[in-house]
Order: sequence, then structure tokens, then C-alpha cells
Amino acid sequence: MNTRAASGLERGDRRFGLMLTAPGLAVLFLVIIFPLLFALITSFFDYTLINPNHDTFVGLDNYQEVLDEEYILTSLWVTLKFVLASVMIEFAIGFSVALALNSVTRFKNFYYLILLAPLLINPVVVGLLWRMILHTELGIANYAISLMNIDPVNWLGNANAAFWTVVMVDIWHQFSFMAILLLAGLASLPREPYEAARVDGASSFSCFIHITLPLMRPVIIVALLLRFVFAIKTFDIVFIMTKGGPGTATDIISYFIYRAAFFGLDIGRASAMSIALLLIVLALTIYLYRYMTSLR
Amino acid sequence: MKRLLAVIISIIFLSSPVKAETIRLLMETVPDTKYIQELLPEFEKQTGIKVEMEVISYNDMHAKLIPQLLSAKGSYDGIVVDFYWVGEFIKAGWLMPLDDLVQRDKFNTSVYVPKLTDLVGKVDGVQYMLPFYNYSMAVIYRKDLLEDPKEQAAFKAKYGIDLKVPTDWDEYWKQVEFFTRDTDNDGKKDLYGTVIQGQRGDCVSMQWANFLYGMGGRFQDKDWNPTINSDAGIKAMEAYREAVVKFSPPGSESFCFDEAANVMAQGKAYSLQTFNIMFAGFDDPESSKVVGKVGITSNPGGGLNGGWGWAIPNSSQNKEAVWKFYQWVESYEIAKKRALLGGAPTQTRIFTDPDVIAKRPYYPILGEILAGSQDFPVFTYTTELVEKMGLEFNLAATGEKEPKAALDAANAAYRKLLIKDGKISE
Amino acid sequence: MHKGLLKRLLPHVVLLVFSSAILFPILWMLRVALTNKMNAYQIPPVWGNPNFNNFIEIFADNSFMGYFVNSLSIAIGTTLIALPLAAAMAYSFARYNTGGLPLRLAVLSSQMLPPVILVLPLFSLFLKASLLNTQTGMIIAHITISLPFLAWLLVAFFEGDIVIIEQAARIDGATRLQAFLRITMPIMAPGLLAAGLLSFILSWNEFLFALILSGPQTNTLPVGLSSYQSHRGVDIALLSAAAICAILPVFILLPLMKKHLIKGLSLGAIK
Repeated sequence: MNTRAASGLERGDRRFGLMLTAPGLAVLFLVIIFPLLFALITSFFDYTLINPNHDTFVGLDNYQEVLDEEYILTSLWVTLKFVLASVMIEFAIGFSVALALNSVTRFKNFYYLILLAPLLINPVVVGLLWRMILHTELGIANYAISLMNIDPVNWLGNANAAFWTVVMVDIWHQFSFMAILLLAGLASLPREPYEAARVDGASSFSCFIHITLPLMRPVIIVALLLRFVFAIKTFDIVFIMTKGGPGTATDIISYFIYRAAFFGLDIGRASAMSIALLLIVLALTIYLYRYMTSLR
Repeated sequence: MKRLLAVIISIIFLSSPVKAETIRLLMETVPDTKYIQELLPEFEKQTGIKVEMEVISYNDMHAKLIPQLLSAKGSYDGIVVDFYWVGEFIKAGWLMPLDDLVQRDKFNTSVYVPKLTDLVGKVDGVQYMLPFYNYSMAVIYRKDLLEDPKEQAAFKAKYGIDLKVPTDWDEYWKQVEFFTRDTDNDGKKDLYGTVIQGQRGDCVSMQWANFLYGMGGRFQDKDWNPTINSDAGIKAMEAYREAVVKFSPPGSESFCFDEAANVMAQGKAYSLQTFNIMFAGFDDPESSKVVGKVGITSNPGGGLNGGWGWAIPNSSQNKEAVWKFYQWVESYEIAKKRALLGGAPTQTRIFTDPDVIAKRPYYPILGEILAGSQDFPVFTYTTELVEKMGLEFNLAATGEKEPKAALDAANAAYRKLLIKDGKISE
Repeated sequence: MHKGLLKRLLPHVVLLVFSSAILFPILWMLRVALTNKMNAYQIPPVWGNPNFNNFIEIFADNSFMGYFVNSLSIAIGTTLIALPLAAAMAYSFARYNTGGLPLRLAVLSSQMLPPVILVLPLFSLFLKASLLNTQTGMIIAHITISLPFLAWLLVAFFEGDIVIIEQAARIDGATRLQAFLRITMPIMAPGLLAAGLLSFILSWNEFLFALILSGPQTNTLPVGLSSYQSHRGVDIALLSAAAICAILPVFILLPLMKKHLIKGLSLGAIK
């Protein structure tokens, strides 16, 4: 094949590729990039729901206001605590379940289907379901623990309890995600290192530490990063269960921005917050992506 | 296949344009809405106009309304406006002035209690709303306990004053302390003097306002300088925290109105500061164990004045038909029927109507409660203020913040919003 | 021997504990949905004759049927538009490396976007374009989630053995377009269907966009459900029945896409 023909082919490939991508890209531009640019522009204007237009340019005032916002740091801290607590516990539970599931043969499919269930349940339903169960007087949870002679717990009323309740509900909803991802990783591990270790007389525990963990490293990091970014998105459970309260105990950042926009009516300020959040998430994503491509 | 067909048909059905004879209203899930729904067939028979009510809970209403009010063609032909929102809705120009309609049809607006016309009727002399019902706050108390001679003797012995319907805050607070007790001697309190409604936001802001008024405090002076952190405010917040710790059921720092009302209805509390519209519920044997045992009186120092008004949004697609409905629903005949069912009146003539008083003897007291009620801040950013202030109050109620620190923060937030609204300068 | 038995049993114990932790709340909800209203509130629980009255009442309620139909048509509309667009994009990413790394990264990051960031400008723009409270608006909003998700997910579908079959077709004289449409797409159809179902579920479960952008005529199931929880007298029996109806379609679809679920959930990072 001569070079001219090859470059003709290449050009054809490129043109065909562009042709296929163009419609999708155009739509993505219209529905995502353009709105994001709009948000960026809005963040420099006094754009409120009472007066929704770009009449008053205010420069960086909205950003200054965000920095002055009394509880925004609290909210970021709550978000960070929430993300760390839920992702870490989900990881611990998810890994144990994945290891267990990887070692059984009987009922494997049965367990697997049950594990999948919460992942597909609407988060609104998850929130409502747990609110019903955790109702201080009419819920089954407090009744169950009263049978064990434990005092009733004020699940969503006490600040500390409410935070951990929301974390727990998120774990219930999402730990299978970890379990299933890690299981896929475990299933694809090579057998040879284990056989060699067994010949050397290594215990199961030391096999786990010295073989499983190092080999699973990539999968673990991907699973953690993905859950991390997804956990930052959390809104529904808090909206349904606590509305950010009591006090600021569960006031995660998404709900904070939602309030600035729809209680404070200040879309400009809320946009400034979202642009800042966008930068944080973008940085995490780039890190995740570089990691994922370095694995290939 | 049949099911698919059904789905397609219902899609077509749902997207077909609304007939001119139908009006859509957004309403809150409160007793007064229910009473109107019961009377609606009359209106539909008289006028042929069909009224569709979307009835939702208060929490969702504001967020649901805004998009509809902003757009040129809203989904709601008529709405009810909480007094919280009046400043904001007027400033944004979402409500249609009703003066022309009022004049044209000679609708008598002087029948309304002036306090309510000020709250949810006129703004700067322009009629934007018709007062729909009032929910001024009051103290609901256990008549049977208060009138018990044994309790009266014990109270007198302990405090040196008579046990009677309280008229000032100290007296009320002594009763709250007095009735908080362990009735069956099992080491746990089972009767509480009051029930705090300390949930962040709306609930705590509204209830705490009654404490503030009780101590003689106000949210601002007459020039709109915020005074939340005055001495009276701090005393009010200390009493509030004291109640959470001593006189109110565990967990009440996160209760809202309904949880608290349930405690009262279960007979576990002596008194409750709540909306007057809740009173009828305590005499309903289906939900209450204290039927016939409760009385209602003014909050010492005055309770919070609250109300809803009927309004026509500028985005309404059917203004005339909605106006026809408002004229009907606010007519003497229908307003009276609503009151007889248990509704909270807004018109002076209903408060004094002999038939209404015969059926509901406590209505004159409701009239007094309304007359003595105090105003809550109403300006463009009331919704945001309630969010911010309510958070601080909740933090003080749970003991996470000192009363003074919380009130300072609330006051500063209020000042900032007032400046933003142009009510005061820096 | 004793130790071996323990070692075999331990995984089952772990799995049983967590499976029941998952199942119990769901079964409890089902139980509440099947009781009458009086019993639903009773603590300690009363076991009465199970019946379907709550479900009948839910479906007799016009507004619930409205939510259901809205959710259905918005989810179907979103998937029908997003799937072909995403398939074409993913195919050219996989085969021709169109746009290279930056483009892939851009598509991935839009998948990572917290929805609250996007919903504010969409709200303002929809307000101007009169798209609030319309199905078109809701479909546009859900495309912002489904399209990047599907594009990213499907890239991996088009790598692998399919390349060889395609090349054979090209040697036989098929154009690029013919190879894509006549060879690749039919072979990948089952995978595409599974991906489409995932996109359906994403839209079906989505809450924040629907909360802000939909309105009385277009409320979806999650929004409808969230408004059921109100003050005193929230009817948990009806609520549970409604919630069951909201998750049922998803469970029915589950076996159809189990195979592709991991790839979907991990955004193709794990195959």
C-alpha cells in the first residue's frame, strides 16, 4: 500500500469519525457546555429570581459573598465528612462481601441479585423507606431495639445521630457498588501467585495482604475514586430525610447551593458556588482519568 | 399491547389543552382547604366552572410556585400566598393588583379584620390579595388540669398565686414548670409543661417568635433596625433552651408543628404554642385523647400573626374565572359555612355571627387572639431570613451555640438582608 | 476438619447478614403496602389479612397515574434520543479515536458533574425558552445525564472481536457506514439494549432535575413520591404501595441487563 492511499484512508477515517460524532457533540454542547458557560457568566451578575436577567454586572462580588457566607465551610466540612465516612465504610463492607461472594459457589447468583437490588432503587424511595423505619415512635427500628431493652434513638432529631443515620442509609444504598466492582476485580485475579504461596505454606491472611491487596490495587483505586465523585453528588437522601438539619449536621453542599438558589432566590451567588464546586470535581475527575488510562 | 395503548391514550389525554371552564389552584394541606373542597360542588353547579386544586405540603409550595410565577404562562390560575412571601412576590411583580376587579364588582373589602388586610390583603394601599384564613398563634392548654381544685391548691401553695388562664409570661412559665412531672413515679417524666417545636427553619422561627413577644421583645424597631439580640431576645432564648432541657419531651428540639401536636393530642403535655387552626383537631376523637379537655388563649404578650391570602398571579391564564371563584368563596354565605365546618375566619362579621358562635363558642376568643397578635418581619427576603435565623435558633435550642452568640448571628443576618432590600443603610 | 467447615461457612454468614440487611427494609415496605391503614401504624406490629387495596387506591388516583406516565414517557424519550447519538459517538471514539484523549475526558467529566451545578443554568434557560414544566424540557435535562453516560459506557463495547468482523466486511467492499450500520450495530444490538435499559433507569430514578424543572403537568414519580410525605396523617401504607410501584419496573428489567451492569456502574472502568 503506498503512502498516498494510506493518507487517503486516514482522511476518510477521520471524516467518517467526525461525521458520526458531530450530532452527539452538538447536543452535548447545547445541553451541557452552553449551560455551564451560562452559569459562569451568571456568576458575575446580580441575577436573582426576583429579577432574572443580566442587567447588573457585579464582577467578583458573588464570589466574595460566597467566601463571606457563614456556613459554607461548615457545609463543605459536612460534605467531606459524609463522603469520607460513607465511602470508607462502604469500602470495608463491600470488600468483605466481595471476598465472601468470591469464595462461595452455592447460592452465588441469589446473593448477587440481592446485592444489585438497592443500587437500582430510586433514592427518593430509599429516603422515604428509612424515614418510615426510623420514625421515633411509629417506626419498627425503635420498637426492635426496645425489645432488646435499649432506649429509643432519636435517629433524625439529634445532630450527631442524624449525620450517622444519613451515612448509614447511604451505605445501605451504595455498598453493593463497591462489592460488585471489587468482586469483578477479584474474579479476574490470576491463580498462579496463590498456588505458589500455598506451596510456600503462607496463611490465608498473609495471602490476602501480600497477593490480593497489591494485585487489586488498581480496581480498589478506581472503585474508591468513582464512589468519591458520586458521593459528592448526593442530594436526594438529605432532601428527603433531613433537609440539612438538625442544625447544620447534614447540610451537604448540593443542598446548600439548592437553598441559596431557591430560598435565597439568588441564582448569581448560587452559580458562583457551583462554579467553585465544578472546579473541585473537575480536578478529581482529571486525576481519576489519568489513573484509569495509566492502567491500560 | 392493551396497556401500551392505555399509556398512549393517557399521554394524549394529559397533554390536551385545559378547557376554558377549568381553573387550577395551588393549595396547602390544611383544614381550611378541606372545608372548601367540601363546598366546591356548589360553586361548580352555580357557575359551571370546574375547580382543580393541587394540594401539597407547605415545604414544597414555595419551590413549586416560583417557576410557575416566573413564566409567562403559569400552570396555576389562582394561588394562596403565605404572609412570609408577600414582600418577595410583590417586589418581583408576580401578583396582579385586584383593585379594578374589586371596584368593578363592588366587592366589599372592608369586612376583613384590619390586621389581616395589612398582613395578606393590601400592600402600600394596593389590594393584591383577599385574606383567606388566619393562623395566628395561641396557647392551647389542658383545661381539665387547670381547673382541677387539687392542682389549684398545690399551685397556690407553691407559687402563692392562683392557677388560672395565664395572662402574662411569668405566670405561664410557672405553670409550665409546675405541670412538668412524673405522674406514675417510674422515674421518667411523662407530663410536659410545653412542647418545643425547634426544627430548623420555619418551625423554630415561628415558635420562638412567641417567646420573644412574651418577653416584650420585637424583631426590629419602627425604623427597621433589627433588635433580635436585645435583652428581651436573650431572655427569650434562655427560656427556650430551658424548656428544651426541662419542660419539653426529648427530641423536641427537632420537632415541627405536627409532631408537637401529636404529643399534646396524646395527653402528654400541659400546653402547646401553636396555630389556632390546630385547635379543632384536639376535639376530634379519631386523632386525640384529650377531647373536651383543652382550652385556647392568647400567647402572653401576643402570639405571631399569620395568614394566607388569595391572589391572582400575573401568569394566570384564567383571571376572570378565578376572580369569580374568589368572590364566591369569600362571600358571607360561604365564609360562614366554612367557619361552621371549623375554618379560621378572616372577616369581622363571621367572628360575631350568632350561628357561628353557637356552633363554635370559642370563636370570640380566636378573635381576641388575632386582635392581640404581633407582626413577624415581612420584607423581600423573609424566606431567606427564616432559613438563616431558623438555623441559629435551632443551634441555640440544641445547646450547640450560646443564646447570645446565636442571636448576634441572627441579628447580623437580618441586618444584611435588610440592607440588601434597601430598608436600612449600612 | 472443624476449621475447614468454619472457613466454608464464614462467607455464607457474611453474605446472609448483609443480604438480610438489604432485604429486610424492602420486605417491610412490601408488608406495609399490603396491610390496611390502621395496621400500618401499629407498633408493635399487627399482622392482618394482606390485601391489594392500597395498590388499587394508588392506581385509581389520577395524580399517581400522571406521575407514572410522565416518568415512563420521559425515560423512554430520553433513551430513544440519547442511545443512537451515544452509539455513534462511542463507535468513532473506539474505532477512529476521534477527538483523542481530551474529548474522552470531556465526556467523562460531564458524567461526574454534580447535578446541582447544571440545574441552575438549565432552570434559567428553560425559563427563557418556556421549557419549564414540559416533557421536552425534562427530556433535554435527562439527556445531559444519559448521553455522556452511554457514550462513555459504549466505547468499550466496540473494542474487541468485532473489529475483525468489520475488517472482513470492509475487504468485501462495504463502506465505513455500511460496516457500521449493517455489521456492527446488529451484532451489538443486545449490548445496546442493555445500555439503553440502564439509561432508562437513570432517567426513571432521577430526582433533582425533576424537582426543579418539572411542574404540575410533568411531575415524575420521584417528585410525586417526595410530595406524599407531608405533615400529620402521612399515609405510610399508600406511600409504600406507591414506592413499590416505582421500583417494580426496575426490578423487572434487572435480569435483562445483569451482564452489562458492572460495566455500566463502573463507567466502563471494569469489564
